[in-house]
Amino acid sequence: MTTSAILFTVAAGLLIVFGVMKIVNFAHGGFMTLGAYGGLVASQLGLSPWLGLPVAFMAGAVCGALVERFVVRPLYIRPLDAILATWGLGIIIGQLLTLGFGREVQFVAPPLTGTIDFLGEAYSAYRLFLILAAMAIGGVFTWLLTGTRLGLATNAVILNEDLARGLGINAGLVRFATFSLGSGLAGLAGALITPLSSVDPNMGVPWLLNAFMLVMVSGSSLGTLLAASVLLGGAQVVISSLFSPVLGGLTIVVLAALLLRIRPLGLAR
Amino acid sequence: MKALLRPMLFGVAALIVVAVAPAFLDDYTVNILVRSFLFAAVALSVDVLWGTTGFLTFGQSAFFGAGAYAAALCFTRYGYSPEIAVLSLLAAIGAAAIVALLQGWLSFYQGATPLYASVVSLVVPVVATQILFSGGTFTGSSSGLTGYDVMDLSVEDWFHLTGAFLVVVTVAVWVFVRSDAGRVLVALRDNETRCAYLGLSVPKIRIALLVGTAVIASVAGWLYAGSSGVVAPELSGFVFGTELVIWVALGGRGTLIGPVIGTIAIDVTSAYLSGSLPFLWKLLLGIAFIVVIVALPEGLIPAAGARLRRLFRRPHQTTPPRLTLAPAVPAPATSAVAVDLHDVRRSFGSLAVLRGISFQARLGELVSLVGPNGAGKTTLMRCLSDGAERNGGRVLLNGHDIASLPPHRCVAFGLGRKFQTALVFDTLTVAECLRIARTRHDRPSLWRQADTLALPEAVLQILRATGLDKALGTKAGTHSHGQKQSLELAMVMALEPSVVLLDEPTAGLTRQERIQIGAILTGLVATGRLCLLLVEHDLDFVREISSRVVVLHQGALVLDGTVEDVVASDLVRSIYAGESP
Repeated sequence: MTTSAILFTVAAGLLIVFGVMKIVNFAHGGFMTLGAYGGLVASQLGLSPWLGLPVAFMAGAVCGALVERFVVRPLYIRPLDAILATWGLGIIIGQLLTLGFGREVQFVAPPLTGTIDFLGEAYSAYRLFLILAAMAIGGVFTWLLTGTRLGLATNAVILNEDLARGLGINAGLVRFATFSLGSGLAGLAGALITPLSSVDPNMGVPWLLNAFMLVMVSGSSLGTLLAASVLLGGAQVVISSLFSPVLGGLTIVVLAALLLRIRPLGLAR
Repeated sequence: MKALLRPMLFGVAALIVVAVAPAFLDDYTVNILVRSFLFAAVALSVDVLWGTTGFLTFGQSAFFGAGAYAAALCFTRYGYSPEIAVLSLLAAIGAAAIVALLQGWLSFYQGATPLYASVVSLVVPVVATQILFSGGTFTGSSSGLTGYDVMDLSVEDWFHLTGAFLVVVTVAVWVFVRSDAGRVLVALRDNETRCAYLGLSVPKIRIALLVGTAVIASVAGWLYAGSSGVVAPELSGFVFGTELVIWVALGGRGTLIGPVIGTIAIDVTSAYLSGSLPFLWKLLLGIAFIVVIVALPEGLIPAAGARLRRLFRRPHQTTPPRLTLAPAVPAPATSAVAVDLHDVRRSFGSLAVLRGISFQARLGELVSLVGPNGAGKTTLMRCLSDGAERNGGRVLLNGHDIASLPPHRCVAFGLGRKFQTALVFDTLTVAECLRIARTRHDRPSLWRQADTLALPEAVLQILRATGLDKALGTKAGTHSHGQKQSLELAMVMALEPSVVLLDEPTAGLTRQERIQIGAILTGLVATGRLCLLLVEHDLDFVREISSRVVVLHQGALVLDGTVEDVVASDLVRSIYAGESP
């Protein structure tokens, strides 16, 4: 369940960017790592671990905003090139973090410790919190997309960008907002998982791959993304514990690739 | 032979450089260059896939790793002997070919998107690395394999061997991409749909090419295992796969020689710099990469000198091929049924676009399909030319049931289809477009550029009527909409089809051209070799050239008769006037 929750959080940001811009943001892993370091810095400065979360979100969002403006915008018409450019960005972020923090693995203490008994079993409180956080993010996003003017404009851009622009919607602004939001979410996800794993400059890459495959599978709907995260994340855990962690690590990418071969449009249709 | 002269001269010159270079270089540089040469060969294979055919791949590293591990595993298990070396080379090639076939089967099918193919190319190295990691002592897990016996060659010998390998592969690829067959690869990049409707099996070509490039990468990996004496899982990894893409982008995608030079330059520089400033160097490389992608998509080397570009890119054929007349196919004796539709249905969800269309058309007939917008005319065309389109009913082309066969098989049954908006290969010349259309009849050469182009009489007529015969050496994309329409029509007729589907062939043409094309079409139909189905809004044109008219309305066939019948019909008048029949 925790795996699914994290996967969902990481993939949600990627999905919203992909849905609106038809661009796969390969710097997503980089933003995630950035968020993780944001959380790390916050905790090293002695701030409350809870404060680390908004710091991470802001770090991701601000970087995302800059990147959108200077790198991604010229590449809208060349989506495959955008993948490459954002991958290059991921490298740059990774190297900058290495220069700044060294390549050692670092640890962050979770803001919640102890266990909670739930249905007779003991669960780590932080893991439960993660699941709740993922649900909250899903909820906020659904509300943003269906209940606000920005959401309406975003949906219009997803469905038909030219028409939306013709109707006076500032598509550039929508893209800018989406990209920043998606990047911020990546940072938040990074900060959320750090207490469970460790922080190192290349931590984002494996998450990026899995999240990317999930987004491919789920088309552009948050609901199917949730389903895919639960399904494939669950499969990963099951296979890891039954066979080997190595096979488990491959589960998502392989299953997703096969799923797409059978249903090219993903699970959404 | 003239076309081969330059690559050969270049090859010989490069071989001489490789032969004498070790005398002027220190041992460290020679050592680094051995590795760079092999990386450059893999980068070359990435450039063929990405630069030439437009398939962005991250997966070539997997084949490099497969080749390297094939050698290392064989030498570790069985020791070194010349026989083992040959066997391991065969194993390297075989393993890469099998993986490439699998990857190709996953990536390329009718209707696959380029993004999906790139996704699969990402999965392949990830899986390969994990398999190597989990191989325990057999594959050496994360530390790889080392300390195995290899051929007893000095560093200089390796330099000569790998250098010669790189030169030979580069020249071979260069000649191939410049050849007439190599133009098909560019056509794939420009427009896959048009390729399929010219009877080319797009998946098959792409898979074959992937296997070929996989073999190049695998042999490079095999040489790497031999020359370095150590292999590690990272060689087959996703990160190396993306590095290859970066080198190709910096060197100049689609230029072949650019990625080779770029890779050597970057790899040698990073070998020197990574000792002193490891992270900074990678950072600079990342920044350079983004700048190139955003500002100089052509790459650094082509941007550095237009002279260089002129030298290494395929030059625009200064003298386009001479047109000759292809031998005519004898006309069939009887006016056989060419198109036979039985209860063809197509619906999108609950919306039924075609509700059971049945009619026949014979050779020697020119049947116009008319009807208001949304009547299902274009959908019917699609159902006739792609077996996967319809939901029900049967379509027979010249007596062959198209079942659910893809477009290129329908073309093999004698079909030709012209699209509503002209589809031509924008970056190819007019002559090259026509030659690709003739692929089914004249197999293009894998290594040379033919100096004649044989076309059927009808195509020559169309070219003369529209003045395209004077513009054979110009790029198709530079022409006007009307000229592209004519070129596409000529390409379709170059297939020598017996059933031709034309979707608004004269839109964008001048009145003069329209009359000429109309005359050519009716002339062709009159020979009894052709059955023509025409969708057209220009009712005057329909009236002038049709021998029969079929009226569609709301997905059903409402009238099938002569031009006079239709013109006189009250029903047709009421449909066009917007009343319900």
